[in-house]
Amino acid sequence: MPGTIGGGGDLTRDMTDHAAEKQSKDARFHEEALRWLPEVTRFALSLTKSEPDADDLVQETFLRAYRSWSTYAPGSECRAWLFTICRNTYYREQNRERRMVVCDDPELESLAAAAIHMSAQQSGFGDVFAKFDLRDAVVRALGELPDVFREAVLLVDVEDQSYDTAAVVIGVPIGTIRSRLYRGRRLLQERLLAYAKDLGLGSPSASTTRTELPQ
Amino acid sequence: MNPMLDCQAVMRQLWAYLDGELSRDRVAAIEAHIAMCEQCYPQCQFEQTFLAQIAHARHEHSDLERLRTRLVTALVAEGFGDQGDRS
Repeated sequence: MPGTIGGGGDLTRDMTDHAAEKQSKDARFHEEALRWLPEVTRFALSLTKSEPDADDLVQETFLRAYRSWSTYAPGSECRAWLFTICRNTYYREQNRERRMVVCDDPELESLAAAAIHMSAQQSGFGDVFAKFDLRDAVVRALGELPDVFREAVLLVDVEDQSYDTAAVVIGVPIGTIRSRLYRGRRLLQERLLAYAKDLGLGSPSASTTRTELPQ
Repeated sequence: MNPMLDCQAVMRQLWAYLDGELSRDRVAAIEAHIAMCEQCYPQCQFEQTFLAQIAHARHEHSDLERLRTRLVTALVAEGFGDQGDRS
């Protein structure tokens, strides 16, 4: 029996250890990485805007993640790590990383949002987001946003990532995330309000209705 | 205290407030203002309902299980163990 002669026992033990280690690695990959398939797929769809391309991107993302699983730090945010791989894979393969720089002050974008709200309120569209399910229009408007704004909105608003995590995934300073996110939201609001106006979803009396504050 | 400045300060940070990115003290100050302000309260509601619309507008894959099967097959070809195909 090989395990009883010379170093054979060590070899058998080594092989057993190796198999156990691999089994543990695969189990961890399954538990920590594969569970994020729906989220990574949504992110891939938002980048590629095409299901067949998203399928390829998702597969490549998880294959790369599996091959470099030993570099993943246990306990760190696996979903953000997968988003990063997904995004880097997409832009590297497309060779289309946008170098567009948004220099606007994020707080000025916030003030611009206030102006949009005031205009919406005055024209009777102040409660349009509360009253109507605009899901299809939102998906369409998101798809039409320029890439740099769409990915910021998708990570923070759809995938519920913090500004910090989105900054790491996209590889930009947090101030840039704020600018892109707020600008993206403003563009979305403008498109959705235009859509609501086209469909006549406003309330003509809203502009004269006094807003009730909570008791 | 100039109420206009208060409103502007709140509006400048409204997104960061709604995103949970501000300090506890700042959150308390903004909440106190919004609760009493006829201008900022409806704007806060407007932005909250807008964000809820975006959060619910997930563009889902039409056949995630097919993609999962394809992915696991590709992973197995890379040496991924068969314990990994449970989902």
